[in-house]
Amino acid sequence: MNPRSAAPSLAVPQRGADARDSADPKRVLADRVEQLYSQMPLGIAATLAIGGIATYELWDQRTRDLVLFWWGLVLLITAARAALYFGYRSSKDKLAEAAQWLRWLGISALANGVNWGFAGAVFFPSHTDEQQVFLAFLLAGIASAGIPTYAASWPMFAIYAGAIVLPFTYVLATFGNRLFAEIALLVPVFYLANVGIAYRLNQVFYSGYRLRHAYGRLTEDYTALNKRLEQQLVELDEAQRQVEASGRKLALFAERAPIAVLELDAAGRIQQINNAAENLFGWTSNELVEKDASVKILIRPEYHADFDTQWQQLIASRAPLAHLKIRNPRRDGLEVVCDWNVTPLVNTEGGVVGVIAQGQDITRQMEAEQLKKEFTSTLSHELRTPLTSIIGSLQLINSGVLGNMDPEVAELTGVAERNGQRLLDLINDILDIEKIESGKLSLVPELVTLDELVGESLVLNKGFAERFQVRYEPRGTLLPVQVKADRKRLLQVMTNLLSNAAKFSPAGEAVEVTMEDLGARVRISVHDHGPGIPENFRARIFGRFAQADSSATRQKGGTGLGLAICKRLIEMMDGRIGFTDRDGGGSVFYFELPKHAAV
Amino acid sequence: MPAQPLNRICYVEDDEDIQRIVRMSLERIGKMTVEVIGDPMVAIDAIKAFKPELVILDWMMPGMDGPTLYRKMKEVPEVRDLPVVFITAKASQKELDELRALGAAGTISKPFSPMELPVLLRAIWKALP
Repeated sequence: MNPRSAAPSLAVPQRGADARDSADPKRVLADRVEQLYSQMPLGIAATLAIGGIATYELWDQRTRDLVLFWWGLVLLITAARAALYFGYRSSKDKLAEAAQWLRWLGISALANGVNWGFAGAVFFPSHTDEQQVFLAFLLAGIASAGIPTYAASWPMFAIYAGAIVLPFTYVLATFGNRLFAEIALLVPVFYLANVGIAYRLNQVFYSGYRLRHAYGRLTEDYTALNKRLEQQLVELDEAQRQVEASGRKLALFAERAPIAVLELDAAGRIQQINNAAENLFGWTSNELVEKDASVKILIRPEYHADFDTQWQQLIASRAPLAHLKIRNPRRDGLEVVCDWNVTPLVNTEGGVVGVIAQGQDITRQMEAEQLKKEFTSTLSHELRTPLTSIIGSLQLINSGVLGNMDPEVAELTGVAERNGQRLLDLINDILDIEKIESGKLSLVPELVTLDELVGESLVLNKGFAERFQVRYEPRGTLLPVQVKADRKRLLQVMTNLLSNAAKFSPAGEAVEVTMEDLGARVRISVHDHGPGIPENFRARIFGRFAQADSSATRQKGGTGLGLAICKRLIEMMDGRIGFTDRDGGGSVFYFELPKHAAV
Repeated sequence: MPAQPLNRICYVEDDEDIQRIVRMSLERIGKMTVEVIGDPMVAIDAIKAFKPELVILDWMMPGMDGPTLYRKMKEVPEVRDLPVVFITAKASQKELDELRALGAAGTISKPFSPMELPVLLRAIWKALP
């Protein structure tokens, strides 16, 4: 788990100054509609009951048809309201359709009000005084009952009550009775007062709905926040366990590591060292840590100034340092050579809070390298010097300048000279490969004209061709191409390829040398008539001590290092070396070098 | 290039076997006059006495190595301008560079062919200013 992901995000959702502002208007509307519809069953029942009583009270022979018509309207409107109620109750998405249901309810309220208004307007003038009082009382009650019924929507009450009182007011005003005319003046006042009360009541309801929703949302927010906090606490706990486990693992690695590990503070004081460091330097952890010792205790005093400079650079750059070879004094006065990797520990603000230094004791490795160097030097001098005497003496004898010899003696001195030369070749090859692989062979690049170099190599190796009774022949035109290369080492490569070709070609055959212009590169190839390269030898032909057939090689001479040296030399000159089969038998060994671009 | 052909050579070398081979090579094949000096400590006096045209110094010798002897020669007016060729079994580039820096006229690596030694020395002689 990424510990960063566990970082708690505890931001509380921002709310307006009035929590009610955060209520969702759609939900508030849906709540109001629900409230209005919840009053319908009672309203429907009351309408039927009051309508029934009114029909009974107003019934007489004269107005029978009109009363029956009105009662029929009451039943029709009530049935429609009941259908509306059940339609709303069966709706599956009351939230989305709230506005639509509100409009239908408004229409039903208007229809209901109009029906009662109709009753007032039609039946008041035609009935007796007692019935008129009954009707006025009934209409006042019906209109007033609208206040609680439509408390969630004051406009709906205004429509409903208006439809009742306006026709009735008109009838009172035009009845011709002064008292009724005065009542007609008061009715709108009562109506407006009731609308005002309904409006106020509606505001209270509305505010309540909004508060309910706002706190509902707050509760949801805080519940979600709580859950998130719980989750983050679990993640933090897990992250802490992982960090602790990693810390224990790291401590264990450092403690058991075979290399010295030191933890230093930014000032270079030793904070902790592992067992390997105690064993290597001879101090115990307590001695160094409790005394607040500087790491300079492990540096020779004459290098303290240099150390201070490098330490400042390390702290400033915060970049790790690798493979610093330092001779470190031990407690017993002896010294060890260590290869150090030094890594600053940087906190999230970019400050260095410590430094980890890991040191590997390479004293023995350095001694071994020194021994190897001395051995190589000895091999170089102590073997070459006697070989100079041996080969030189034999060459002088075999040249005949000292007089003629018995043929059998001459044959044996010839054998001795050839084998002396073989031994010398082996020593030279071993020294070369050792120098190449230790990175100590440096080339002396110069501009070399290749046709001249090839010609020179053919002349220099003529003796070799004669010995194996073959001919070196250039084929085609040798190109006067210039390359940047080490002339002496390039001649060494040519000598190697030519001598190999001579050794493995049958007597009397020609070894051909060609040059090809490959554009940016030039290829030199040596074509022999030998047996070719066996399939199982091809992959390792440029390896060290690679010989296809050791008995044949002994017979022909050679160390098995020549091609390995050639490959490395050519690669050091940015070239490549390879071989192919020659048409008609034999092999072609070639190397390519980049042409020198004239400036 | 010097006007006269190379003829008189002093060779300072402690190894008696190589002394013999070089002497034979230069005398029999090169037809030169050779003075071989086995002890580098007395070499400068011997060179002054013999008056060679060119001096060959071995690199590693007991008592005084070739480069040290060469530096001492530079302090002696009678021999300081003589061309010096080093024969060495040490073949590292660094050491060859050191020899050139000392002002050596040339270097010949061990083992060398006694058949080619006079040719090599004459080539170095011809290349001298």
